[in-house]
Amino acid sequence: MTNGENGRKSVLVVGGGIAGMQSSIDLANMGFQVYLVEKAPSIGGRMAQLDKTFPTNDCAMCILAPKMMEANSHPNIDLLTYSEVEKVSGEVGKFEVKIRKKPAFVDWDKCTGCGLCVEGCPVTIPNEFDVGVGTRKAIYIFFAQAVPKKCVIDKREDRPCKAACIDACPVHTNVPGYLKLIAEGEFKAAYKLIRETNPFPAVVGRVCYAPCEKACNRGELDEPLCIRDLKRVPSDQWNIEELEVPVVAKTDKKVAVIGAGPAGLAAANDLALKGHSVTVLEALPEPGGMLRVGIPEYRLPNGILRQEIGYIEKLGVDIKTGVQVGRDITLKKLKEDYDAVFLAVGAHGGMRLGVEGEDIPGVMEGIGFLRAASLGQKVNVGKQVAVIGGGNTAIDCACTAMRLGAKEVTIVYRRSRAEMPASAEEVTAAEKEGIKIEFLTTPIGFSARNKKLAGMECVRMKLGEPDASGRPRPIPIEGSEFTIPVDTVIAALGQVAETDFVEELGVSLSKRGTIETDPKTGATNVEGLFAGGDVVTGPAYVIDAIAAGKKAARSIDQYLNGQALEPEEPAKEPEKFSKEEIEDRKKRFPARDRVKVREEPVKKRVQDFREVALGYSVEEGREEASRCLAGQIEGCIECRECERRCEPDAIVYTMKDETIELDVSAIIVATGLGLYDISPLTEYGYGKIKNVITAMEFERLTAASGPTMGELRRASDGRIPENIAFIQCVGSRDHRHKVYCSSVCCMHATKEAMLAYEHRPGTKSTIFYMDMRAVGKRFQEYILRAKKDYNVTYIRGRPGRIEVNPENENPIIWYEETTSGEVKKFEAELVVLAQAMVPQISEELARTLGVELDEEGFVKTPDKLLRPLDTTRPGIFACGYVHSPRDIPDSVTQASGAAGRAAEAIAGGK
Amino acid sequence: MEEPRVGVFVCHCGINIGAYVKVPDLVEYAKKLPNVVHAERNLFTCSEEGISAIKKAIKEHNLNRVVVASCTPRTHEQLFRAACEEAGLNKYLFEFVNIRDQCSWVHMREPEKATEKAGDLIRMGIAKARLLEPLQEIEIKVTPAALVIGGGVVGMEAALNLARQDFDVHLVEKESELGGTLRSINKLFQTSEEAEKLIKTLVEQVKSHPKIYTHLSSKAKEVTGFIGNFDVNVDEKGEECKFNVGTIIVAIGAESLRPTGQYGYGKMTNVLTQLELEDHMKRGEPVGENIVMVNCVGARVPERTYCGRICCMTAIKNASLIKESNPKAKVWILHRDLMTYGVDFERYYRKAMELGVRFIRYSLERPPEVIGEGKVERIRVYHELWRREIELPCDMLVLTTPLIPAEDSQNISKMLKVSLDEFGFFLEAHLKLRPVEFAMDGVYVCGSARWPTDVTEGVSQAYAAAAKAAGPLRMGYVKAEAINASVNEVECTGCGLCELLCPFQAIELQLKRDRMVSHVNEAVCKGCGTCCAACRSGAITMHHFTDEQILAQVEALFG
Repeated sequence: MTNGENGRKSVLVVGGGIAGMQSSIDLANMGFQVYLVEKAPSIGGRMAQLDKTFPTNDCAMCILAPKMMEANSHPNIDLLTYSEVEKVSGEVGKFEVKIRKKPAFVDWDKCTGCGLCVEGCPVTIPNEFDVGVGTRKAIYIFFAQAVPKKCVIDKREDRPCKAACIDACPVHTNVPGYLKLIAEGEFKAAYKLIRETNPFPAVVGRVCYAPCEKACNRGELDEPLCIRDLKRVPSDQWNIEELEVPVVAKTDKKVAVIGAGPAGLAAANDLALKGHSVTVLEALPEPGGMLRVGIPEYRLPNGILRQEIGYIEKLGVDIKTGVQVGRDITLKKLKEDYDAVFLAVGAHGGMRLGVEGEDIPGVMEGIGFLRAASLGQKVNVGKQVAVIGGGNTAIDCACTAMRLGAKEVTIVYRRSRAEMPASAEEVTAAEKEGIKIEFLTTPIGFSARNKKLAGMECVRMKLGEPDASGRPRPIPIEGSEFTIPVDTVIAALGQVAETDFVEELGVSLSKRGTIETDPKTGATNVEGLFAGGDVVTGPAYVIDAIAAGKKAARSIDQYLNGQALEPEEPAKEPEKFSKEEIEDRKKRFPARDRVKVREEPVKKRVQDFREVALGYSVEEGREEASRCLAGQIEGCIECRECERRCEPDAIVYTMKDETIELDVSAIIVATGLGLYDISPLTEYGYGKIKNVITAMEFERLTAASGPTMGELRRASDGRIPENIAFIQCVGSRDHRHKVYCSSVCCMHATKEAMLAYEHRPGTKSTIFYMDMRAVGKRFQEYILRAKKDYNVTYIRGRPGRIEVNPENENPIIWYEETTSGEVKKFEAELVVLAQAMVPQISEELARTLGVELDEEGFVKTPDKLLRPLDTTRPGIFACGYVHSPRDIPDSVTQASGAAGRAAEAIAGGK
Repeated sequence: MEEPRVGVFVCHCGINIGAYVKVPDLVEYAKKLPNVVHAERNLFTCSEEGISAIKKAIKEHNLNRVVVASCTPRTHEQLFRAACEEAGLNKYLFEFVNIRDQCSWVHMREPEKATEKAGDLIRMGIAKARLLEPLQEIEIKVTPAALVIGGGVVGMEAALNLARQDFDVHLVEKESELGGTLRSINKLFQTSEEAEKLIKTLVEQVKSHPKIYTHLSSKAKEVTGFIGNFDVNVDEKGEECKFNVGTIIVAIGAESLRPTGQYGYGKMTNVLTQLELEDHMKRGEPVGENIVMVNCVGARVPERTYCGRICCMTAIKNASLIKESNPKAKVWILHRDLMTYGVDFERYYRKAMELGVRFIRYSLERPPEVIGEGKVERIRVYHELWRREIELPCDMLVLTTPLIPAEDSQNISKMLKVSLDEFGFFLEAHLKLRPVEFAMDGVYVCGSARWPTDVTEGVSQAYAAAAKAAGPLRMGYVKAEAINASVNEVECTGCGLCELLCPFQAIELQLKRDRMVSHVNEAVCKGCGTCCAACRSGAITMHHFTDEQILAQVEALFG
C-alpha cells in the first residue's frame, strides 16, 4: 500500500463517523485512494447511536446506513476499523503513517456476522455503544447495522487457568462458561449452556463422577471447584419447564433408538435437534434406563429425571416404553422401517456368584434388586442384610436396603478399601449411615434354615500379585472360614450386556458379549446400525454413556445426510499448571474455601428415599461459582463457546496486533465528539438518582435498535414516564466545567421531547434552558412545532439542584424562573440532562498526528477565516466535532470541505 | 432473446436460514422450475466458497441468469453482482431473493410456512430473472471546467480551490467588482481584520490565477445540458459569452433585510441596520455615546419565523468594536435568545460583557419601544431580569436584521432547475447529509445562498461545494445509472406529466416528427420510476422493473 500506486494519491482519514465517512467518500469520488481508520469495530460513529435526527426527524440509521454501505463498497476506500494511528512522519504530499490494527480474535475474512457466537457467550459486559444502559457479550457485533458486520472478541487478558475441566469432561461441557453465568445469577442461560453439550444437567449435577473436578486447575492452588454440585444450581433455582422449545426444520429421516437410558436419550436429543424423527423403544415400563432403575431415588429423584426426559420428548422424540426388541419386535424389522438404528440397551444383566446355595430364597442379584426397588415392586428385605461387592452398585444396594428397613447392613468385599471401585465419598457416606464393611472377605456358600436364608459362609482373603486389572489378586486364606448370620444377601457383582437379539443381523460382538463398534464413530459392522453406552463398553459412568450417545448421533446425522463419517477431533489432555504458574496464581488469587453443598442429616435421610444432597442456595451457588479462576478476569474468559458455535471456523484466540504502513499525501482528522463526565455536577444527582439520565442514554432507550427496543422506561419502577424534564447546559456554558456552548443540545432536547411524545402521545415535556439556540434551517420552526404539536414547554431558568420525592422516586427540580425571579420546584417523572460534549481526541493522538489543540481540546485552526479547516500541521485537516461543536449538517459540510482542502493541498496549493 | 439458463443458489446462512427453512427442499424445488438448469445450496453463499461456486456454475452450466436466495440486497447485492461480472455475466442479469429477513427471521415459529414462502419468493425471483435484460452503465465525458456564480468571498474561495486543482473556472459576478457582501463590512469577527483587506488578498489571488476567468458585471443568462456538459451563456457587460463546463457552484450570497417601518427605520434619522452601521464605522463616522441595538428585527417573528444565525454575532462584534474604540460609550444589546453557539462565539460574547456591553433580554410579547420625534431619543424596554420597564438614552439605534434570499435567487433557481426552500433560500438535496448539493446532479450550493453563514462557515462550505464539483472533473467521466427509464415515443401522448413529476429534472418534452414527446436524459435519470408509474399511456419503461418482469412475478405467485 504505497502512495501513488497506479498513479493515485492517497489520503488517510482518521475517524469513521459521519464526518470521516463523508470526507472519505468525497475523496474517493475524486479518484483518491482513501484509508479510513476507525478505532471502533464499525464505522458509523455517534450518529449511529442516535434514534432520530433533527429537524427532519429522519431515522438516523436509515440515512446513515446507505453512507456506511457506500464507504464500505467504494472501490477507492479501504476501511481499517478497529485500528488506531500509531505514528505519522513526513510532510504534506508524503506522510508516512503506521496504523495498528487491534486483534479482533476473529478472522474477518471468514466471519459472516451471523451472530451465533454472540448468543452463546456467557460473559456479559456493559455496552459502550448503548452508553452503558444496555449490555453486550464478550464476543459481540458493535451494533446491529455495523459495517463491516463482523464479530469482535473483547479479550483483555489471558485466562488465568487452563480450563482443564473442559478437556477432562467426556462431553466437554463449557464449565467456565456456566460457572460465570451462575456467579452472575443467570440461571436460565447457565442451564441452556450446559444443555448444549449435555441434555441432563440436573441429573448429571447429582450423579456424575466429575472428572472435571479432578482436573480443575484451582485444585492445584487450594481446592477444585464443586463443579458437579454447581451443575444442578440452574435447575434448582429456575424451572426447567419454562425452557422454550426451539423450532427446527424437519428432515424426512427416521431413526430408531433402542434403549431409553442416558446414551439412547442423549442421541435422541441431538438427532431431534437436527430435525430427524426419533422413536425410542424402551423395554422397561419407564424411560431413563439405569438413571431410572440403577440409581436410587435418594441420589436422583425421579421427578428431576422425568423433567429432563420430558424436555427431550418436547423436542419431538417419541418414547415407547414396554417394548422389548427381540421379544416384541425384531431388530431386522426396525432396520427395515427406519433409516438408522442406534443400539443403547445398556447392561442390565446381573452376574451370578457361582457358589453353593445361591438359589436359596433371600439371595438376590444387585442390579435386579435396585430395579425392583426403584420401580416400586415388592422386595423382601430382612433385618440382617449382606451386600456382596465393592462398586457403587453395592453401596447403592446397601443404602437402599437400609432405607427398606434392614437393621444391619454389611458390605462384603474381597479386597481392601484402597481397591474399592466405589467412590470414596460414597463409601464414607454409607458408613455414616451405619453400614459396615467387611474387607478382604469372600462368600463361599449360603446356608438355609427352614428353607429360609440363615447364613453366609465366608473366607478371609489376602492380597497377592496384581492381576490383569492391575489390582492385587485376592487369595483365600486357608482355614479362615466363618459365617455371617444373614436373612438377605444382595450380590452386586457387576452387570452384563444382554445382546442375543442382535445376532440375527450378524452384528459383531466381543467375547464379553458387548457390541463391537468403531470407537470413533459408534458404527457397528452393519451399515446404518450404531451402538453406544454400556452395551458397548460394559458398565460405565452416566457421562460416558451420554458422550457415547452424542458421538453416535453425530455419526448418524452424517450417515443420514449421505456424508462420510467424520469423528470429532480428539480433545487435548487436561493441562496442569507449571510451578511458576502455581506461584503466580497463588499470589493473584488468594485461597478461598470450597462452599460445600448441604446434606440431609443421617438420622432423617435413612428413614426414607428423600434426596440426600440438598443443593446450594442462590448465594452459596454464586459464591462457589465465583471461585472459578477463569471468571476472575474482565472480558473474554476463553471458554471457547464461540469457537464451538462458529460454523465458518473464524475464531482465532491467538491473533496479534498487526501494523500497517501507509504512504499518504494528506490526512483528515474527524474523530468526533466525546461525552463530558458530568459526575462532578453533583447538584443534578446523576448516577445517584435513578430517574435522572443523560440525553445520550435517552437516545439509546428510545432507539428501536437499543437495549429496550425503543421502550422508554424509568429505571426505578419500569414505568413509562409521561412527564419529562430536560435540563440544558449541563457542563456547558459553565465556567466550572466547559465554558463553551455544545451547540447541538437545544435542538437535541427538543427532538427527544418530540420522540417521547411520539412514543407515548400526550407526554408532557419541559425544557429548562438559558438560550434556545436554534440557528439552522428549519430549526425555529421545529421549536414552534414542538410547542404546538408535542406538548413541549420551555422554561428559562437554570435549575440549582434535584431532590427525590421518596414516595414515587420522582426527581424534583429546584430552579429560579428568570422571567419572574421566583424560586420554584418542578416534579418530573424523568429528568434528562444535556450532557456537555467534548472533542474526542487525546493529547497523545494529537501528538502522534503533530497537530496542536486549543485550550478546550479542539483541533486548533490558526486561520479561522480563509483556512478554517486547516490544522497547525500543513497537509492535515480537521472537520466535525473535533474541529468545533457542530451539528450533523455542519459536520458533513466541513467534511466535504476538508476533502476539498486536501485535494487542493495535494495538487500543490497551500 | 436467448433461452434463459437460470442458476439458483440458496444460502443456509449458517443456521440463520438453514435452521428454519428447509434449504435442501428449496433447492430440489427450484430445480423443477422452468429454465432452471442448476440449483445448489451453500452454507454461506457470500463466503469465498459460495462466490466461487457461483462463478464456477456460471461457466460449467453456461448460466445466463443468476438467482441468489439469501439475505438482503442492502448489504449483499453488490457482492453477488460483482461475482456475476467476474464470471463474464452482465451484472444486471442477477436477481436477489431475500429469504432470511422475509422468511426465516419473521416466521421463525412457523418453519413449514417459512419454507413455503421462501419457495414462493424463489419462484417469483426466477420468473423475473428469466426476463431480465443486460443493462449498461453509460459513461458520460465531463468537461474539465466549472462555473461559479457569485464573486463574494465564498465564490472566490470555491473558484480558487478548483483552479488550484488545475481546472478552468468561470467566475461570474453581477457587480463590477469582486467581494460581495464583504465589501460593505467594516471589520471581521474575532480577528478584527478589515474586511477590505481580506477581499483584496483574495481578489489578487483570483485575478492572478491563470485558470480563473472572471466575468464582472455579468449574469448567467442560460444554462442547458446536464452534469459533465453544461452549456453556459453569460451576458458580460451586454455581450454574449458562451462556454461549456462540467459542474456548477451557486454562491450568490444573500441580502440584508431593510426593516422599513419598524422602530422608525426609514423615518427617523438615527436608525440604522447593522450593515449600514458597518459602512458608517468603515467611513469613520461618529456613532455617539449611547448606542442601542435591537436584535431579531424581522426575524423569529410570525411573518419570518427563521433565525438569522449570524445576526447576534454581528451585533456583539459591532458593539465590541464601539466599546474598544470608545470605552466610555454605552452600548446596549436588546436581544431574545442569544445565538452564540460553539466555542468562539460564546467566548466572544463573554468578552463583550467584560468590555462593558450591556445585554438586556426582551420578549417577543413586549418588544422595545422607540421614543422621540424625527430622531430616536430614548428606548423603552421591559427588562426581563429586573422585571420592570426601563428607558435607555439613545444616540443611535441599530437594528439587527436577518439575511434574506438574494434577489437573483428566483431567476437562478429557474435557470438551473434547482429548487428554493420555503424561505426563498436554495434548497439542498438533503438537509442533513447533502447540505451543499442539489437534487440536480452537477450543481452545488454554498454560503448564504443556502442559509445565512459567517465567513468561516461560508468558506468551509465553499471548499465542500468545490470538493463535490471537483469529483466529476477529476474523474473525467460520470457513470449514469444503468437502471433507468425510457420512453416509447409512439405511445407517448406528450402530456408532460412525467416532466412535471420527475424529481431529477431528467425528463423534457421535445419536438419529434412534428409532435411533442417525452425524452428521458439517461445521464440524469436515477431510475426512481415515478414517471413510469404516472404515465397514463404506459409509454415509459422502467428498466429492470419492467411491467413484464413484475407481472411475471405476480403471476408466479398467484398463477
